[in-house]
Amino acid sequence: MSTQTPLQREPHDRVGAARIELTRSRWLRATLRSRAFQPALMLVMLFFFVAAVLAGLVGTPAGNHNFAIVFVWIVWWALLIVVMVPFFGRMWCTICPIPGPGEWLQRRGVVRRTPGRLRSLGWRWPHRLRNIWLQNAGFLALALFSAIVLTRPDVTAWLLLGMVLLGVVLSVFYDNRVFCRYVCPVGGFIGLYSLTSTIELRVKDTRVCMDHATKDCVIGTPQSYGCPWMVFPGNLGRDAYCGLCTECLKACPKDNIALNLRPFGADLLVAKGRRLDEAYKALIMLSCALLYSAVLLGPWGWIKDWANMATFAGWTTYAAGFLAIAVLGVPGVFWLIALAARTAAGVAVPIRRLFVDLAYSLVPLGLTGWIAFTAGFVLVNGTYAVSVLSDPFGWGWDLFGTRSVPWRPILTEVVTVTQVALLLVGLAYSVVVAYRIARQQTASEAQAWRGTLPVSGFLCAVTLTFLWLYLG
Amino acid sequence: MTERPTRTAGRTRGEIVALAALVVILVGFPAGVLLYQFVVRPAVADVRTIDLLARVPETGGITPETIKVAAGEPVRLRVSVPDVTHGIAIGPGLALDLGHVDPGQVKEVRVTFERPGRYTVYCNVWCSPNHWRMRSTILVYDPARPDAALPSDAPDPVIESLAARHVDLDAPHEAPAVPARPFASERGARVVDRLGPALPADLARPEWRRRHSPAQAWARLVAAGLARDEAWDAVAHLWVGALDGARLEAVATLFRKNCAACHGESGDGRGPGAAALAAQGIGQHGGAAAPKKPAAFTRAGSMLGGTSELYYAKVRRGGMGTGMPSWGPVLTRDETWMLVDYLWTLQFRPARAPRV
Amino acid sequence: MTRARLWLLLPFGALALVVLLVPLPFAPAPVTRELTVVARQFAFEPPVLRVNRGDRVRLTLEASDVVHGLHVDEYGVDARVEPGIARRVEFVADRAGKFRYRCSVSCGPLHPFMTGELVVSPNLPFVRAVGLTLVVLAATLVSLRRLPPGGAPGTT
Repeated sequence: MSTQTPLQREPHDRVGAARIELTRSRWLRATLRSRAFQPALMLVMLFFFVAAVLAGLVGTPAGNHNFAIVFVWIVWWALLIVVMVPFFGRMWCTICPIPGPGEWLQRRGVVRRTPGRLRSLGWRWPHRLRNIWLQNAGFLALALFSAIVLTRPDVTAWLLLGMVLLGVVLSVFYDNRVFCRYVCPVGGFIGLYSLTSTIELRVKDTRVCMDHATKDCVIGTPQSYGCPWMVFPGNLGRDAYCGLCTECLKACPKDNIALNLRPFGADLLVAKGRRLDEAYKALIMLSCALLYSAVLLGPWGWIKDWANMATFAGWTTYAAGFLAIAVLGVPGVFWLIALAARTAAGVAVPIRRLFVDLAYSLVPLGLTGWIAFTAGFVLVNGTYAVSVLSDPFGWGWDLFGTRSVPWRPILTEVVTVTQVALLLVGLAYSVVVAYRIARQQTASEAQAWRGTLPVSGFLCAVTLTFLWLYLG
Repeated sequence: MTERPTRTAGRTRGEIVALAALVVILVGFPAGVLLYQFVVRPAVADVRTIDLLARVPETGGITPETIKVAAGEPVRLRVSVPDVTHGIAIGPGLALDLGHVDPGQVKEVRVTFERPGRYTVYCNVWCSPNHWRMRSTILVYDPARPDAALPSDAPDPVIESLAARHVDLDAPHEAPAVPARPFASERGARVVDRLGPALPADLARPEWRRRHSPAQAWARLVAAGLARDEAWDAVAHLWVGALDGARLEAVATLFRKNCAACHGESGDGRGPGAAALAAQGIGQHGGAAAPKKPAAFTRAGSMLGGTSELYYAKVRRGGMGTGMPSWGPVLTRDETWMLVDYLWTLQFRPARAPRV
Repeated sequence: MTRARLWLLLPFGALALVVLLVPLPFAPAPVTRELTVVARQFAFEPPVLRVNRGDRVRLTLEASDVVHGLHVDEYGVDARVEPGIARRVEFVADRAGKFRYRCSVSCGPLHPFMTGELVVSPNLPFVRAVGLTLVVLAATLVSLRRLPPGGAPGTT
């Protein structure tokens, strides 16, 4: 990293101040250290996963009355983006059942620690793919088909099955959770947005790890597997690639691993680990939130026809436009913004460095933008979940007597207010983060402040676009 | 690896529980769901359940296409819809209309077909350019004589009689004269009252009116000395007199459900179905002939030259290669006559057609 | 939060209140508008209806392909319409802003995303939201300008 005057005021694992160690609770520590903790949660989720796949394959093709659509794309998605990511980071990755079959086959066990090493061919994951570019591409590819995937139960079911299968196949060749870390199209953005979360897994004292010769958390112990996410906890400065699997808590003989409560957004300021693939992810996610808001929630039927593959030519146009905006347009504009920021701040930092670093300031607004987008359809379609709970397959069952609950948008009067509030909080937070990131590259506060102005303009334009789509 | 035996035992127990849970989730749960839906549910049903799947004809229409039921046997019809809203009804003469069935919805009805015959399950909500093909058949047989001919297969005497007279149902029937000003059947009522016994006797007989066109009746009246406009008013009165009140309301609903999508609510032939048919080239004569559009009942020239029995036959037989389906298998003869009377209403007093 | 920062943000708070509460003049006489909305898979035509606050809106609702519905957020309008049978809906546009209307009868895969917009002028919620955005941006930037060194986000 070539910074003119690097101003790392804090060690990278202690950015910000307040931390509350949750694992001081004996009960929580015991729970997390239990071998059954993660598999039990995964099995519960696997039950719902199987229900979704089954409903998608044999249930009604009418999406609003099919468990696969309603519980994956409305209930799961809303919980993920509104609750899990902002507050618990990668907690979804703790309980996600998708890598389960591959992992269990590789371990030859579900709960127990089977002796010896993992059963895979032990190939080495290509160096060039040790990043989230595959995840960026996978997310974009899915985004192009979102109008199909989000509305067809059978497509959703095959997608879910395909992901499990891919996980199993990868686990045959590679040790550990290569699928989660490098391939899963959802995992990339969960990792990036987890930088804002209020939960972190960290070592209590890095020196203990440095002095620890055997590195049990990496290689495993009789009670635990080596980190399935291929992370060294002792080095862990941010949440992006810690899957919260709790293996290291079970491994550490020095009781040096903690689960902490911390302020929002702390990891965004960690300079170490910032990379172009993540910066692109931040830009892609912001673009997609805007595009989805326009395509899916907007009033324009012709775009929906394109996205819905009514004609191949239409869809091709849509795909080309989508990619042009998400891959070239928005990143291109942001590159100019980075250039302007450099000029305004009067620093000689390489433009690529500034582009990458400042892109992390888009994360808060991106996250609140996604939550605002989600608010736009979850409260509207939430009543489907009540009815689908009683009739998950659309076969006329009435398990809980709620099958006939009619569709009714609820609380529509608070949706726009919520959206505005979320976007404004996101905007303010992003501006503050932009300033602090700029401050890491500049000699003076005045320089950082001037450098923040172009980024603020960009953030403001994005906010106004959201507002126009939702309110204008 | 060195492990203490006690811990190994504990772990093994956990592993067995997990593996059992895994088998239940991956195998037991799906198998149980499918078993319950497709084996247990039908087995414990009190009466025979017939599952009808109603889809747009492009993907299969109503299946199964034919169902056999014994007269007097109670059955449960369970209709499910995967694609778009359909209106599921069974005719003729059963007053069995399940109304709209929306996608993902399952509607059930318990019925006992009392009389043997051929019944039609049909969709009465426009759902696709091929909506009018969306039908299936229920054969209700007499359990005492399962092979006897079904009574509803008997030929229709009106259509027989037209055929015997070599009337071509598809020949053009343009009226030689059309009224110069809007009809007023109320005025027509006064004219008929005034005429009293002077009204040509034929015109007073409903059977005569069914076999003759309004244009023919008008010519008689003009020949009897009435002014041209007065004659049209009198014809209007004579042709719509039969339909009023509850009957009008009932037949208007029948028309809206089954006819309005193509022929338009007002009968002007410009319903959304007409556009869909034209756009897809469905149900239109091949060759050089101009595409056959849905008839406009509000158009005087073609309407006034036709007879009630001609329209009756057209409705029951269908449009033969156009998008007009045959209504014989769906409507009773009585309902068909009411529908024809309603068409005259659309022609003679358009403003008074009931609106929603 | 320091006392100095509080004093600094006070004017912005006042400005925000002004943006949120100030009445804006707008007084075209209410009229009755006859509008037709045609529903098809998966859009309404026209996609956007523009009226003024106080207008009486007489909507004729038609469906061109399959059964659809019309639900107007916050206006309590809900109607089902089938092809060939027009429906008439009437309401007074007494609330300003943008309200989505949605198909209320499942009509195919993209049904949940079949929406249109009723924009009742003056669209004050939007204007105020834009104003508030600028106030928030200005307040954030000004507070950063005076920020003492060493602070971190999330810690006040």
